[in-house]
Amino acid sequence: MSVAAITYSTIFLLALLGAPIFAVMAALALTSFHFSGIELSAVAVEIYRLASAPTILTIPLFTFAGYVLAESKAPVRLLRLSQALLGWMPGGVAIVCLFICAFFTAFTGASGVTIIALGGLLYPILIQEGYSEKFSLGLITTCGSLGLLFPPSLPIILYGIIAKVDIDKLFLAGLVPGFVLIAVLGGYALFNARKIKRPSTGFSLRELHEAILIARYEIPLPIMVLGGIYGGFITATEAAALSAFYVLVVNSFLTKDLSFKRDLPKVITESLTLVGAILLILCCALGLTNYLVDEEIPMKILEAMRSFITNKYLFLFVLNIFLLIVGCLMDIFSAIIVVVPLILPIAEQFGVNPLHLAVVFLTNLEIGYITPPVGINLFISSYRFNRSVIELYKLSIPYLILMILALILITYIPWLSLIWF
Amino acid sequence: MERVLQAFDDLLERFSRLSLISCLYLILGLAVLSIFLRWCGISPNWLEPLIRHLVFLSAFLGGSLATSKGAHIKIDLITHLVENAKSRFFYWLHRNMITLFCLITTLVLTKSSYDFFSVEREFGGEAFLGLHSSVLVAIIPFGMSLISLRFFNRLLLSLIQGDVRGSHNL
Repeated sequence: MSVAAITYSTIFLLALLGAPIFAVMAALALTSFHFSGIELSAVAVEIYRLASAPTILTIPLFTFAGYVLAESKAPVRLLRLSQALLGWMPGGVAIVCLFICAFFTAFTGASGVTIIALGGLLYPILIQEGYSEKFSLGLITTCGSLGLLFPPSLPIILYGIIAKVDIDKLFLAGLVPGFVLIAVLGGYALFNARKIKRPSTGFSLRELHEAILIARYEIPLPIMVLGGIYGGFITATEAAALSAFYVLVVNSFLTKDLSFKRDLPKVITESLTLVGAILLILCCALGLTNYLVDEEIPMKILEAMRSFITNKYLFLFVLNIFLLIVGCLMDIFSAIIVVVPLILPIAEQFGVNPLHLAVVFLTNLEIGYITPPVGINLFISSYRFNRSVIELYKLSIPYLILMILALILITYIPWLSLIWF
Repeated sequence: MERVLQAFDDLLERFSRLSLISCLYLILGLAVLSIFLRWCGISPNWLEPLIRHLVFLSAFLGGSLATSKGAHIKIDLITHLVENAKSRFFYWLHRNMITLFCLITTLVLTKSSYDFFSVEREFGGEAFLGLHSSVLVAIIPFGMSLISLRFFNRLLLSLIQGDVRGSHNL
């Protein structure tokens, strides 16, 4: 066994043993450059490329905005508004849960904040409405990553940076598939609502009016982001800056949910620790992915695949299986950074539209959040609701099946992602 | 020795946290200013690269905090099993082996980025606002050395304290 093989095997073993991904990426890049006879300072040159990525600013600012929202009383206000709007419908409370979680995940980037921030609010409401414990826990666990396809989700931005795809277009491409996922889970919620004998609360115009007044500062936020970007008034980067500034001013000075001196430093530290962890992986992966592309590794994989994958549909099927496995083993940020540069040229050869590929990719990883054995939402829910992970494995199964059904629709009906283009 | 190391680690933690908070406010302020200036038809060419480099710096400061909190993203396949293992020695070995791996990697990255900085200092030019490009490149060796120091401290503290469970996350 050569020295190179031993070094690579050791690094892979350490990765499996739980070494931070950024260190694994850096070690792989340094080893690859060393064995190719390239100066190690080339890795630092690659790392520095991150400082010239034009959309890099969106990552810390949208994450900060999401964390501020999660730490404030915005979840309570939005919950009241959603209940006033949809609570009267059969299965309305569960549908409220879907929409409010999707909204929060879109802003917090599916980092587990949704379950932590909203789980405690939504769970008692679902139980009070008569939903079973099994259904309620499964729904909240699944909803923790539901808004991942909606703007301004962090994984979409990261995908755009890595794949060099227009982030504005990616935001649009994810809209319909995002609603497909909500519709599928909403259908299941309605199915479960049949068993509930409790009379649902009726629609009240007065309550809706009050709820709108209470949530008046949160309502403009999605309008500002989506309307601003697609109205051509602001870029995605500017939308991030305005959102962060807006939630900071609203929650510190208008609603006074967060103290500028006491709470905000904590929120900044928490949100930017996550951002730091993601950007470090991104930095270190730049060197590795550049090496892989220079060595034409994706093309070699493509050549190997061509012998048994003959068409686009078979490719998408194999890709889904592969990404579901990746989603079980890796977190979404590492998966995007590591896997996207490898599959992008292959998918292009099979004629898969880059926007459609992005949506399929992110949907797979969204499912990965609830896929046993290491779906992160399962662990967060286990911690939040003090249940065993095994119990959550069982609860997640019906949701997993439904999400895979939605994935099949999203994969084989590209129109869902490309309707706007 | 342990108290000195802990005090030094606390100092690094405070430095990282305060710098990160300042960075975020600066990024946010400058980003909003750039939008306002654009609406006024003014686009200073130094503003955007300055913001991008502040974000770049905050990546390393956030990385320093992630190191102390054990919040780095990792594959959680075996970690849970190891953390629940009955053998305290195995847990200790696993934790220190990974910290050592991270320390070596970040040290090599510090050296390689310092080499890049040296080349840039010799051959680089003015980037913006009168700043030499090597000053901007220096963010990498600075950030990497900060993270290396955090790993070094954690390794030493872990070796001194023995296998105290949960005292240091990976």
